[in-house]
Amino acid sequence: MSNSEWKPNQQKFGAKYKLIGKDYPTPDLYAKVTGKAKYAEDFRVDGMLFCKLLLSPVAHGRVKHLDVSKATAMPGVKAILTQDDLPAPADSVTDLGVTIKANPLGEKALTMEPLYHGEPVLAVAAVDEYTAAEAIEAIDIEFEPLPFAVDPLDTLRPGGPNPRLQGNVWVRPSMPQAKPGEKPPSPPVPHVGELKWTEADFAETKHGRLPLGKAQDEWVVGDLDAGFKEAALVLDETFVTPDTSHETLEPRTTLAYWQNGKVFVHMGTQSTVQTLASLGRWLNMDQNQIVLVSEYTGGGFGSKATGYIFAIIPALLSKKANAPVMMRISREEEHFIGRARPGFQGRMKVGFAKNGRITALDMFVICNNGPYDAVGDANTSGTIVSLLYQPLAMRWRGTTVLTNTPPRGAQSSPGGMQGIVIMETIVSKAARQLGLDQVDIRRINCPEGKAPVGPVRNGTRGHSTSAFLKEAFDRGSEQFRWKERTARPKRSGTKVRGVGVSSSCFVGGSIGYDGLFVIRPDGRIAIQSGVGNLGTESLHDVHRVVAEVLGVPWEKCDVTWGNTSKNLPWTCVSGGSQTTHAMTRAAHAAAIDGKQKLQEIAAKVLGGKPEQYEVGNERVFRKGGGRGMTLPQAAQHAIQLGGKYDGHEPPEDVNKFTKASIAALQGQGLLAAAKDKYPRDGQTFSYVACFAEVEVDVETGKYDITDYLAVADVGTVLHPKSLSGQILGRSILGIGHAIGQKWVFDPHYGHTISLRFHHTKPPTILDVPVNMQWAALDIPDPETPVGARGIGEPPVGGGCGAILNALSDALGDEIFRRAPVNLDTILTSLEAGRPTQDPLTAHI
Amino acid sequence: MAVIRDVMPAFQLYQPSSVADAQKLLGQNGSDALVLAGGLDSMDWLKDRIKKPKVVVDLSGVSELKGIRETPDGVEIGAMTTLTEISTSPVIRQKYSLLSQAAEVVASPQIRNQGTIGGNVSQDTRCWYYRAGWPCYRAGGNICYADTPVGRNREHAILHSERCVAVNPSDTAPAFIALDAKFVVMTPKGQRVIDAEDYFIGPDIDITRMNILQPGSLLTAIRIPSTWAQAQFYFEKVRDRNVWDFPLMNVASAMKSSGDNIQDVRIAVNAVAARPLRLKMVEDSVRGKPRNAATGEAAGKLAVQGAVPLQFNAYKVPLMRNLVKRAIGGVQEAAWAS
Amino acid sequence: MGILEWATSPLGQRVPIHIAWFLIWVALIAGLVFLIVHAIYVCYFAKDKGFASDLPSEIGQQLPARIPRHSLMARLFHWIMAGAMFVLLFTAFLPKVGVQFNWVTYHWIAGTVLTISILFHIVHATFYLDFWSIWPDRSDIEDARKRLQRFMGKSTALPRKFAKYPLENKLYHGVVMLSGLAVIITGVFMMFRVRTVFFPRNPYLFSDMTWGMMYVLHGLAGVGLITLTIVHVYFAIRPEKLPITASMIVGSMSREFYLKEHDPQRWVIEGLPHHGSAADGD
Repeated sequence: MSNSEWKPNQQKFGAKYKLIGKDYPTPDLYAKVTGKAKYAEDFRVDGMLFCKLLLSPVAHGRVKHLDVSKATAMPGVKAILTQDDLPAPADSVTDLGVTIKANPLGEKALTMEPLYHGEPVLAVAAVDEYTAAEAIEAIDIEFEPLPFAVDPLDTLRPGGPNPRLQGNVWVRPSMPQAKPGEKPPSPPVPHVGELKWTEADFAETKHGRLPLGKAQDEWVVGDLDAGFKEAALVLDETFVTPDTSHETLEPRTTLAYWQNGKVFVHMGTQSTVQTLASLGRWLNMDQNQIVLVSEYTGGGFGSKATGYIFAIIPALLSKKANAPVMMRISREEEHFIGRARPGFQGRMKVGFAKNGRITALDMFVICNNGPYDAVGDANTSGTIVSLLYQPLAMRWRGTTVLTNTPPRGAQSSPGGMQGIVIMETIVSKAARQLGLDQVDIRRINCPEGKAPVGPVRNGTRGHSTSAFLKEAFDRGSEQFRWKERTARPKRSGTKVRGVGVSSSCFVGGSIGYDGLFVIRPDGRIAIQSGVGNLGTESLHDVHRVVAEVLGVPWEKCDVTWGNTSKNLPWTCVSGGSQTTHAMTRAAHAAAIDGKQKLQEIAAKVLGGKPEQYEVGNERVFRKGGGRGMTLPQAAQHAIQLGGKYDGHEPPEDVNKFTKASIAALQGQGLLAAAKDKYPRDGQTFSYVACFAEVEVDVETGKYDITDYLAVADVGTVLHPKSLSGQILGRSILGIGHAIGQKWVFDPHYGHTISLRFHHTKPPTILDVPVNMQWAALDIPDPETPVGARGIGEPPVGGGCGAILNALSDALGDEIFRRAPVNLDTILTSLEAGRPTQDPLTAHI
Repeated sequence: MAVIRDVMPAFQLYQPSSVADAQKLLGQNGSDALVLAGGLDSMDWLKDRIKKPKVVVDLSGVSELKGIRETPDGVEIGAMTTLTEISTSPVIRQKYSLLSQAAEVVASPQIRNQGTIGGNVSQDTRCWYYRAGWPCYRAGGNICYADTPVGRNREHAILHSERCVAVNPSDTAPAFIALDAKFVVMTPKGQRVIDAEDYFIGPDIDITRMNILQPGSLLTAIRIPSTWAQAQFYFEKVRDRNVWDFPLMNVASAMKSSGDNIQDVRIAVNAVAARPLRLKMVEDSVRGKPRNAATGEAAGKLAVQGAVPLQFNAYKVPLMRNLVKRAIGGVQEAAWAS
Repeated sequence: MGILEWATSPLGQRVPIHIAWFLIWVALIAGLVFLIVHAIYVCYFAKDKGFASDLPSEIGQQLPARIPRHSLMARLFHWIMAGAMFVLLFTAFLPKVGVQFNWVTYHWIAGTVLTISILFHIVHATFYLDFWSIWPDRSDIEDARKRLQRFMGKSTALPRKFAKYPLENKLYHGVVMLSGLAVIITGVFMMFRVRTVFFPRNPYLFSDMTWGMMYVLHGLAGVGLITLTIVHVYFAIRPEKLPITASMIVGSMSREFYLKEHDPQRWVIEGLPHHGSAADGD
């Protein structure tokens, strides 16, 4: 289809709003495009030292000899930091007052028993990086290599090596019951134990199928056996998804220095407010003694949700050397410490009725966790698959296995993406075998409205707040001309083309955070934002709600962000696509609080009742005409009135963090602050239907994606341009998983050997179609005041799934058994006439 | 002593402005010197602290090494000419478009703006074991880490592997071989002019070098004779990503036909062995034959004779077969009606 | 300058990878120095060989004109081994001193030839030849002591004539055997490191350290063989040893030379009357 038939999105959003649904330049845009924006690395402080890290050459080992005397004797070397200099890990306390005990087996910033190749062992601070590097080379260090495993199946084998001295899986002791009336007890600290499968389990590998050994966790809903009995088609497939680094362009570079007993940390993080707690825990310090500066963050994708533990290295070195310390992280170091999505080795047995409806789904996944704290991907994969495909009966079994590979972290649609991708290839195969249309088979299994999700917990099953995925498929089929495309000839010359479609969804928002702003006597609205500036633009987008509700021009609003000394409100983690949903709610609550206060002030000053007043056009005025006052006047009155109006009496229910900020802001104008207490029936998810066409050259195996469309169900569209960036950007992340991004390990030494971008192969702009398309349904979610949900994550699984499905449409089902699919896979499978890929081994 | 793969070590930087000065510096410093052209290969070695030369001779100021000159016999390209200059040069595009096609698909635009033709043909292999600083044969050690029962060798060699299975990653090298180019090398003993294919050496001859350049020698220019000007050219690079990627394989051919028959042809492939391979047997077998699919098929099959795939690079055998087939017999282009 | 080359393994450990190649020159020079010193000694300082003559004179008359010394099999073995050894030495060391060619294939093929010929030799010498004739026996030691004392100027009884092989010959064989076995055994394992027709390439048969030691041993024995080969060739072409060299080609030596240097009681020619015990070590 030529580009002329295939126009960019012409949709108009926000018909009933002034600001919501409209494009605008975000206040940080100019700084970003001109280079004026200051990322952590751009700061310079007088007397600043530089630090470099000594990384582990072994996948697992112990330092058996360390002599730093030659390094410390070098001129310019100021301090060396080792594990011994780290504070003991601190316990943390949740919002509910529950103490979470620190885990002695958790990740440390530096360690003498490295658990992966590239793990930081020690750090040297010197007058410049050259000296620091020379000093590291002068350090006499010897490691005792210990057994290691980079592939989960290796350690699960009987007699297989354990990645940690204690074993290969986290064991979570059962939670003690809370006594009525008392606060919930601390959950017991997980420990590392051993899980081995039997030789009999591993017999499955001979047939290229994943062994179904004892799983760590499982749940069942419905009658699985009955479901399979009813099925007209049962497929049992094994599939491997890749481990992919987040590859944020800004590495974990950090600057730290101490002033008057406070530590100042400049770093890139996704969440401003929520990172403070992490730093406090890692440094074992009171949060009040920490100032975090993070105005700009060069990408997170989940990897910097609440910062990163390595930020404490320059902080502690700075204390030791009594000088500011800059830790610049190289791309190679970032590869080791920068987190990654865990790869899955998965197996699914799925029963389909004749019409394509999934009658039973037996899901089994292994999550390659890396050596430290468990990621939630395995669990989430089950939840998401249960929602997205609405199987009549489902069993999920999952095991999160420790390996000596760089630690994983959440990456856009953690777990959801892996589960969806494994499922999508099976649904495609089923449609071909049942003679069904690919869109139809997805539509018939779509979640709708308050759709059930996940396992039964405490006697009830959760459900979604809303789901309009069917509508997304309908819109997408039409816009993509699905029927037309599927009817065309497939082969011409050496080229074969195929079309694919994929469902996807992921969590889309949390609740319960605070909004805070001040209407100042100069007429400007000072909005305090605890949202991180991670590039999604939600930092500004969510606060447009304040201006919308108050009827104030956006140009009159000043958003303060990126520095925890600047009196910010309690804010959600900018991760898990929570922000748009959570913080539009908080902004809405604060705006309503502001509006009420304006009405009350007007009534107090001008007489009448508050409800007789209206707010709009930068004024508060009597309904139907009459007296009123400007917002600057109202702000003056608020200061005179004091109490709750100017922040002297903060709302009872806001977080203590917000209260501290209110205390600092009091008396500056009309202070609006509120906690989001809007009701919500269900859990918030967003959905997307993705369509793709590929063209494969069967002589080289090379393929190109010629067209792509994603139609999103994200509730109310808040900011079309940022939404487009999210939908297409995250689609590209997903496409990367389909076309090439991965990790490669040498299994003999347990080393990462894919250390460069040209090894890990994140997709480039030329790997995606020039004319990628998107659309959004713009149907408000009924369970949130603005109706907006988050969208960061769902397109990842959809992007990957659509490409894989287009490939199997072009080439058939006998080509690949894992993602990514490169030309080598295609060519060898075509040559052999059967799938040639190893469907079990990780990291190849 | 601990290993750190970061921060350039110290060295003496020389920036000569003439070939004579450059040669003098290289002669004085022998194997202590590293030649810096565009830096895209060298900087990795330096920043990884794997190579620690005492002296770096930066050629960026030697203007006589830059530029494309037409000569009575063809063109001469200075070794420091950038890949962008080559891919956009009118004379190259008009007469030797095989080379402009090859230069245009190297890496990414930024890299082509900085990367030089001398550097592109002389670059070291990208074997990830070797580049990680592992002490393999190529690094002077006694092992190949890629050709082990568990080695990850998707991008490695299928032909002429002698202990080392690394491949030459240059995109322009096979184009030069197909164009019968001559490489001008200044050695301490004087100037040598070498056939393009003889510039490259495999591990059987010297396992630690990719080309004949010895310490003290310098590639100064590449001459393309007019013999193959405006011949029928075929270039194809196959890579994972559409930009910023080394070749999984490439093929370059220059052909002259009389009527439907192939009168003469030169063909070379790269990234299948440690040096770009000129396929003489293929050339001999197709000379005089009609240029059609059958000739292409036969040429492709002949080309891969003796290929030994490793665990993860079996695809290179059909890939090479098909690329040679296309270079000789032509491509069956797609013609979609809708 | 160390005699070993070291590298940092992927695991950050220091491991030897091979000998320092300057040892090639050391071995070469050592061989040449020995040659020169020996030649000068023989030329200017050596006394005539003296042997105790306890040979019944009639024996000489019974002997044929040509004394059989090496069977065809033994000679074939010797020259095949020698050829393989030269190929091995040249293919091993020429590339290291700058003569570049595709050496590995020739090297492992020659190594295979050498290994098979040595295996044949062990079986052949053990079961078909006089196995003990090449090993020093008690009289060799006694005679050596006597020769040494005479060399030092002390008057002592004359040593006896040699058995089939002079002591130097036996000692040389011993040293060559040790070096040869070292290169062969390490060499066979090293064939796992390259592609041969014998077994799939598996460089991970041993740890990095074990491999390193193996390469070092191979190298040390290899350069040792340079010296030993020079010494061997030197003696082979010395005028007074030429009859022995010739016997390795034609298989026999003249009766005169046999009677001059060898003790028919210690080296009994088959088919001739036996006089006393051949050797105490029997």
